[in-house]
Amino acid sequence: MAEENITFSLPDLGEGLVEATVLEWQVEVGERIGRNDPLVEVETTKSAVVIPSPESGVVAGLHAEEEQVVPVGAPLVTFTVERKDGPQAGIVGRVPTEEAAPRRRVRLKPPTD
Amino acid sequence: MTTNPVGDVTMSYVDLLPEAPGEAVPVLLLHGFGSDFQMNWGSTGWVRDLEAVGRRVIGPDLRGHGASDKPTESAFYLPEHFVSDLVDLLDRLGLERVDVVGYSMGSRLAWELALTAPERVRRLVLGGFGPDNALAGVEEGVPGEGDTPFDQVYRTVVGLPGNDADALAACALGQAARPFTPEPRPEGVPILFAAGAKDPVAAGVEGLAEAIGATFVEVPKRDHVNAVSSRAFRRAVIDFLEVDADEA
Repeated sequence: MAEENITFSLPDLGEGLVEATVLEWQVEVGERIGRNDPLVEVETTKSAVVIPSPESGVVAGLHAEEEQVVPVGAPLVTFTVERKDGPQAGIVGRVPTEEAAPRRRVRLKPPTD
Repeated sequence: MTTNPVGDVTMSYVDLLPEAPGEAVPVLLLHGFGSDFQMNWGSTGWVRDLEAVGRRVIGPDLRGHGASDKPTESAFYLPEHFVSDLVDLLDRLGLERVDVVGYSMGSRLAWELALTAPERVRRLVLGGFGPDNALAGVEEGVPGEGDTPFDQVYRTVVGLPGNDADALAACALGQAARPFTPEPRPEGVPILFAAGAKDPVAAGVEGLAEAIGATFVEVPKRDHVNAVSSRAFRRAVIDFLEVDADEA
C-alpha cells in the first residue's frame, strides 16, 4: 500500500467568480477525512458554500488561513492518501460531482375548470 | 389579477430519503429571498448533516424561485399563498407533521405556516430573521435602489442565474403587504431563532426571542449571507431538532 500526497486547488465555483474567502476549515491537519465529508466553508460575492472533500485520506496541510482570499486554482489543501496500485504521477484532486437530487414538480391546486 | 391567484403555480421540490429511513420527523427547509433550495440548503452542508442524523428532507423551490413557476404579479406572492403551497405539498406527501427550518424570507413563511397550521409543525427554526420589517419602504421605491438591508440582499441575488427580476420584485411587494407581527405566536410550537452576529436583517432578534419565549443562538462573526453555511449554526439547529425527534 503506497502513500502519496495529493494537493487540491480551489475549484471554479462558477458564475465567473475568480476567488473565494475561506470562512472556516471543517478539518484540522492530521485529521482523517472521507471523500465527500465537509472540507472547508468558503464565501464568494454571491454566496457561502461548504466544499466536500475530493479524497479520503489524512489532511497533510492547509494552504490558506481563515479569512484569507484564495484565487481559483490556488492550492487549498494537501491530503496523504493510500493507493493500492502504487503512486500515480500528476494526480490533481477534483471536486466530487454532485449527485443530482431527484427533482419533482407538482402542480398545486390545479384549476377545476 | 385573478380571483384565485394562488391556484395555478407549479412548484418544484426535492424529497430526500435518508439511507436508513426511521421514525424521525421529516424536515421541511424553506430558502430565502432570491435563493433556491440547492443554493440555500444543498451547497451549504445542511442536507448532508440532516441525512447523517437520519432525517428525510423536503426541499421546495418557493414560488418565484429556482425551478418553480415565477408569476410576475405581486398578487401571487402573499404569505398565505406560500403557506397554501406548503400545506398542499405536505398533504400530497402524506406528512402529518414536520420540523420546519427557514432562512430569511423562508423564516417569515415558516412562521406563517406554523401560525396557520400549528398541528403540522413540530419544531420551528427561524434563521436570519428579526422583528424589523425587512421590506419597509419597498412599496414606495424600486427594489435594490435604496440602501436598506433588503436592497442589499436584492442586489446580491437579482443577477444570480435563473432569477427573474420581475418575479422577485413582485415577490417583495407581495411580502411587504403582510408585515410580520410577533403576536400571536404559533401555539405550542417550540421555536429557535438563529442569526449571524453581524446580520442587519435580523436586528433585534434576541429581544424577539425572549419576548415570545423562544431560544436564540447567535452565530459568531457572521453576516446575513455567510451565516447560512456556518457549522455552528447547523449544529445548533440539529441539536434543537433532534429533541424527541423519534417520538412524534
